[in-house]
Amino acid sequence: MSVLVANCPACGASVEFKSGQSIVVICSYCRSAVARTDRDLKDLGKVAEIVETGSPLDIGIQGRWKDIPFELTGRAQLGHEMGGQWDEWYATFSNGWLGWLAEAQGRFYLTFQHPIPENVNLPSFEQLQLGQSIGGLPWPTSLIVAETGRATALGAKGEIPYLLTPGDTYYYADLSGPNQGFGTLDYNETPPLVFLGQQVTLTEIGITSTRAPEREQKEVAAAQLACPQCGGTLDLRAPDKTERVTCPSCNSLLDVNQGQLKFLKALGKPSFQPVIPIGTTGDVPEGKMTVIGAMTRSVTIEGTQYFWGEYLLYNPQIGFRWLVNSDDYWNYVEAIPPGEISELADSVSLTTPLGAQDRPAKSVDFRGRNYRIFQDAPAVVESVLGEFYWKVEAGENVRATDYVSPPYMLSKEVTTLLVPQPTRPGKKQNIGEINWSLGTYVTPAQIEKSFGVSDLPRPSIIAPNQPYLYKWIYKYWIIFILAGLLVACLSFITSGSTKEVFSQRVTFEPLPNEDGTQVFFSEPFQLSGHRNIRITGESPVQNTWVYLEGDLISDDTGLVQSFPVDISYYQGVEDGEAWTEGAQKNSTDTSSLPAGKYVLRLEAQWERWQQPASVSVRIEQNVSNGFNFVLMLIGLSIVPVIMAIYHFTFEKRRWSESMFTPISDSGDDDD
Amino acid sequence: MFKTVYTIFGTCVIGLYVAASLLGWQFGGGSRHTLPPDVRQNGYRSFHFWHYGLHGGK
Repeated sequence: MSVLVANCPACGASVEFKSGQSIVVICSYCRSAVARTDRDLKDLGKVAEIVETGSPLDIGIQGRWKDIPFELTGRAQLGHEMGGQWDEWYATFSNGWLGWLAEAQGRFYLTFQHPIPENVNLPSFEQLQLGQSIGGLPWPTSLIVAETGRATALGAKGEIPYLLTPGDTYYYADLSGPNQGFGTLDYNETPPLVFLGQQVTLTEIGITSTRAPEREQKEVAAAQLACPQCGGTLDLRAPDKTERVTCPSCNSLLDVNQGQLKFLKALGKPSFQPVIPIGTTGDVPEGKMTVIGAMTRSVTIEGTQYFWGEYLLYNPQIGFRWLVNSDDYWNYVEAIPPGEISELADSVSLTTPLGAQDRPAKSVDFRGRNYRIFQDAPAVVESVLGEFYWKVEAGENVRATDYVSPPYMLSKEVTTLLVPQPTRPGKKQNIGEINWSLGTYVTPAQIEKSFGVSDLPRPSIIAPNQPYLYKWIYKYWIIFILAGLLVACLSFITSGSTKEVFSQRVTFEPLPNEDGTQVFFSEPFQLSGHRNIRITGESPVQNTWVYLEGDLISDDTGLVQSFPVDISYYQGVEDGEAWTEGAQKNSTDTSSLPAGKYVLRLEAQWERWQQPASVSVRIEQNVSNGFNFVLMLIGLSIVPVIMAIYHFTFEKRRWSESMFTPISDSGDDDD
Repeated sequence: MFKTVYTIFGTCVIGLYVAASLLGWQFGGGSRHTLPPDVRQNGYRSFHFWHYGLHGGK
């Protein structure tokens, strides 16, 4: 497989270029970077030893991507401007492809260099904006700028496909897009080199036999080191990832570099006591994770400072996660690729603490779910305890924007740093990164159970992403209403038609005085059982009334069903407009009576007592009046209506904590 | 728990509606009494009974 075997110009040892695309090979004896030129080999200088990161990859490991086998032939270690480092592995494919496999924070990104289309002018590094969409790239989805930065070549091993000069720096922009899309614009050249690909898992690239078990064994065991300030012992639970750690004895902030601790500054007495002690292992949805660091952060809104706590969780197989504790509610948080988020074009109209410029989007979409803006403010690190994978320190400032869709919360944090411009020395510009994370609401009881802590305070406010637990009632409500409608239809169809069982016109003689009454008893008639009854009285009254006190009397049992029928009808003309009130016909419905013979008794009173009164009486059974149906609807709706009112107050309380509340007493919505 | 309670409650409401439909129940619509045996024997059509007996001195 060797393309070229030669002697190292620095030490004379044998060096081997296995790939025709390799430009530099690192001499495994003297660590010189040996470059291949047209004529001979050139010594570019010595590179540092690779810092052991616990990577599951190694040179010589073979894999397969899109059915093409490859081998890892080189590794470069690059330093990040904001601290930390990442690895780039070079994959030489059997068909001549050259892949770049970046490894950072336990995630892998496989990219390939693509030529820039002829009609595309990529922005210069100075023109780049975080979140900016980069168009014209040969990639099926849009890609946004997720990070701009300056990298420094720290160390290397094996074969490198470009002219790696130890200590050299170059500017780059990382791009992120939907469906794990990933890209890098390498501003080491003009125009920049374009690398496009996607985030992958080791399984997806056919790497199964890695050093993972070995890594697990090494990483789970914490490293024990001595504090250079006080001599006290401290445990590093993620020794290959940690950049900063605080000493539990003297609370000094220490820098971690290749397992060496360096005193940075004394933090004084810890200003907070983590409610979950550092070192505690708990069960989270993804597995067991250990709390390795804790910090407090704050935002200042309208002059008031609000604090919250964040706990850094770590598991070598899972990576880093967070538990965020604010106002006694909790969130389990994991990082997500910025390219997966669609920031909708409509921005808020409110001037945020960050000023009128660069207003955040009102809402964002993530995996088919819409999130509404809740807060936008600069967040500051107040205090730290334990270890962290970046160079954290008190005062670190990011712009934090929260979007909610209970039980989830998306948080966007934008970090910027001023660095010299690449093309105009002396001028400076911002570089930085966008980090998106997805938080899931967790109850204090779940935290207590998972981490074995007790007596956590319960929240007194509604959390931004606290789920309203009774939304199901609307679905149940609709189901019950539909079921009720179905039952009503079936009942109507099967009950048969209305049946008249009695009808008679009764004439009452004039009364002796205005308080007198006249009584009428009917001949017996048959009533069916299990059929409701309607008694209708009709009288040709005009601007007067007739009142009937009625009874249905069972001849068989003596059962009496009393009922009133009030007939009154008035009409007239007032201010040229005709009016009427009441009706010449009125009825009363009663429940069914046991089947049998019944007599109708009517006792009548009427206003014009000197004159006779004429009343037609009709008795029907099996009458449809809808009253029971309305009662059923009311019965089914009582609880949902109460819950809807509670839901409204719940949301009002939630959004009262937001600077972008859509629910307002005064109606002065912010957006 | 609340889900179960509302499910039971809703089922009962619909069940009551079905029962009311089948049995001819009607909410409201006047009072119901039984005539005393002596009144039935002596004849319930007397003015005295309806005004000083069943209807309580109306």
